[in-house]
Amino acid sequence: MSRDQSSERRTGRALLAEIAAIVGGDGVVFRETELKTYECDGWTMERSTPEILVMPRTATQVSGVLKALYRRGIAFVARGAGTGLSGGALPVGAPVMVCTSRMNRILAIDPANRRIDVQSGVVNLHVTNAVKSRGFFYAPDPSSQVACTIGGNIAENSGGPHTLKYGVTTNHVLGLELVLPDGEIVQLGGAAEERCGYDLVGAVVGAEGTAGVVTRATLGLLREPESRRTILAAFPDADSATRAVSAIIASGVIPGAIEMMDRLIIRAVEDAFHVGLPTDAGAVLIVEFDGYAAGLDERAGAAVEIARQHGATDSRLARSEAERALLWKARKRAFGAVGRLAPNYVTQDGVVPRTHLPKILREISAVSERYGLAIGNVFHAGDGNIHPIILYDERDPGQVQRALDAGREILRACVAMGGSLTGEHGIGAEKMGEMPLLFSPDDLLVMAELRHVFDPDERANPNKVIPKPGACVEVAAPRRQVPV
Amino acid sequence: MEQPGGSPPHPARDVADYELLFDCVHCGLCLEACPTYKVTRAEMDSPRGRVYLMKALAEGRAELDDDAARHFDLCLGCRGCETACPSGVRYGRLIEDTRAFVEANYRRSRGERMVRRALGMIFPYPRRLRAMLAPLRLAERLRMRGLIRLALSGRPREWIELLPPLAATPIARKSAARAEALDPDAPAVVVHHGCVTQVLANSENENSERILAAAGYRVTRLRGTVCCGALDLHSGNLKRARKFARENVRQIMQSGADALVSAASGCSTAIAEYGELLKDDPELAGPARALSAKVRELSGLVLERGAPKFREMRCTVTYHDACHLVHGLGVREAPRTLLKSIPGLRLIEMPESDMCCGSAGSYNLTEPAMARQLARRKAERILATKAQYVVLANPGCEFQIAAELRRRGSRAKVVHLADFLAMALAD
Repeated sequence: MSRDQSSERRTGRALLAEIAAIVGGDGVVFRETELKTYECDGWTMERSTPEILVMPRTATQVSGVLKALYRRGIAFVARGAGTGLSGGALPVGAPVMVCTSRMNRILAIDPANRRIDVQSGVVNLHVTNAVKSRGFFYAPDPSSQVACTIGGNIAENSGGPHTLKYGVTTNHVLGLELVLPDGEIVQLGGAAEERCGYDLVGAVVGAEGTAGVVTRATLGLLREPESRRTILAAFPDADSATRAVSAIIASGVIPGAIEMMDRLIIRAVEDAFHVGLPTDAGAVLIVEFDGYAAGLDERAGAAVEIARQHGATDSRLARSEAERALLWKARKRAFGAVGRLAPNYVTQDGVVPRTHLPKILREISAVSERYGLAIGNVFHAGDGNIHPIILYDERDPGQVQRALDAGREILRACVAMGGSLTGEHGIGAEKMGEMPLLFSPDDLLVMAELRHVFDPDERANPNKVIPKPGACVEVAAPRRQVPV
Repeated sequence: MEQPGGSPPHPARDVADYELLFDCVHCGLCLEACPTYKVTRAEMDSPRGRVYLMKALAEGRAELDDDAARHFDLCLGCRGCETACPSGVRYGRLIEDTRAFVEANYRRSRGERMVRRALGMIFPYPRRLRAMLAPLRLAERLRMRGLIRLALSGRPREWIELLPPLAATPIARKSAARAEALDPDAPAVVVHHGCVTQVLANSENENSERILAAAGYRVTRLRGTVCCGALDLHSGNLKRARKFARENVRQIMQSGADALVSAASGCSTAIAEYGELLKDDPELAGPARALSAKVRELSGLVLERGAPKFREMRCTVTYHDACHLVHGLGVREAPRTLLKSIPGLRLIEMPESDMCCGSAGSYNLTEPAMARQLARRKAERILATKAQYVVLANPGCEFQIAAELRRRGSRAKVVHLADFLAMALAD
């Protein structure tokens, strides 16, 4: 053994002992087989095993651990439930993983001020479950809401079907407790609904873990709508369905959500869940209106009429809460249902201005043909947030590369249409290389400077989000070539 | 870091059906449906983590070391993840195959080996189990069971605590109804008496028959009951599981029954999987498939012919979903519908009613620490409902939950669905 190695081991052991003293023996994982299960999140195209996994229960413990890492100059990556789809929790040059799954306590419910205080490892759906009986709900509802954590939602600024009306995570986070990469605990924002000064909460939400580790959040709650109308409309093709989307929004009625599924997805979902979707349709829209019961029928009726004018062959209203729940269950589990069609798939996440939806969908089907890979579409049509699902088989290296290339080509098309690289999944490890499509080197530099305010040494989730001009190729080389 | 599009994975070891492992898309929707993940909140104790380990093992990227074996052992096999999984991962099948792989390739400590061997030698054979329990039964008659419990410590004491009263007459224990069904063309149903059930909870078998007869079915009986093989399936002994399966297929097909039920939901799902288990059997593959298709569940069958007349029972009940009933056979509503049809009964739902209580076959004997944590969680949910009865349809859950409620001094009664319905039958 060389001297280097042995001193490295000594440092490793000393660090392990220090971390174990902070979080307890059962809060540290360092053996290979156990760590292996942490080598990727929902983005499975790349994997990398952390060297040490820490599972703290409190902000004080997180602070202690980050202080220990700060003294040694060691980088770290935070992880919640590992459901992210852009590799946000993939360790890239970050030996230590801080997992917030045990920080899952709901700290305080304050119905009078319509807010809730939670630890960052609380599962998204558990927030709504905790306040449902009082007539409230937490609006952001990503498809993974049964498992994903508030901390992960904050990192990725997650959305969900109801983003159309209610906005994304950043619109619902009032305050944060953040442990900076040097271990200092800071409070950002607060309980007040209006704030002054620079919006630091806004800078941390969507920073994808590059500002430190969020340990607690004060979230805003909304009144559960008095009533809902959920429409399922079948169209002969995706083109007519997406034109109807633009027309519905343009008419001035604002639905809570408009979701689209194309033929491939409809069939996968129907095979899996038997919800009674029309399997002969080219596309379906799920349009939901919520709010006061008065006037809801008129708005739903208007949407049905617009759908009909745009070629809908059939529109029906969910007749009961059970039917509505089934429809949403099918929609939210559509990604998984696709797993039945191919050994692997990768979900892309891009945004186009709503009126460009027909165009981008035509482009996606052209890409599908060019690359010889099936692509299904299930997405938040109301806000132009597309999710092409590219099917492939990881046992064929050619297919893996084609799936990656096809995804990138779709993203380029989104940007060319005036759109964006991500609606809600984040940039992560996946799309760092595409950032220059959207941002100039100056833009990226400013972003990096903002990040340095929180993380001057770039030890919090390093090698993510912002490609470094010049150094970028080098950083990404072990993974893939990133042209900048 | 491994590159995308690098060397393609290939199966190096036969851990489980390699193709089936690809059904998992690593989405994580199963996490919160997994009892062990709920407790440890660690990926390797989640279904996704276990499937990932199976795949890594199969591809030779991980070794079957103490950690790998430990995390597979810790799986309850409750199949709650199957209900949550959007991609249709056949987790139950995968974990059973993996357990067989572990048994064949991993050497446990001597103590563990002895415990497992003893369970396998005693439980499937009612006579042996009766003989083992005879001294305890005697002690109980002499009102000395408490003393025995105090004299023991560690695992044996925990095991004794789990056992139901052996000498007392269970509620609603009545002679097996041989009442002829009114309709000679009514479908014939056979109740598989199960190996442990007939020793520790035979009233559940007899009352199942009684309810079925009252609902208008012809009830037929097997000449003798052979263990269904569930215990072996869940502990990686596929060879003996197949042997038991073959005996059962022959015997049950001979009985001419149109449907089969079992008071133990684990037995029901095991028999429902015979088709898969014996698919390569030259002689019995077809009959095994046919038998698997006949597996039903008590309340569903009863509802099909219209619920019998129940007397009024003014009481509060909470219903616990036995794992293999709800996640294996997909039975959720029927028992509740039947219970709610009893006049005066108020059903109070507990949260997480479909989360495993930790019993899981012989799991509470081999993994007492985790089992106990889950029992506590279940007991808390039950006590919060303040219900007078906990009704469930699996003797294992009954013993596990009753033991935990006894420890807490609760007066809630834990009753098997068959016993409860028999109690409610109008005479």
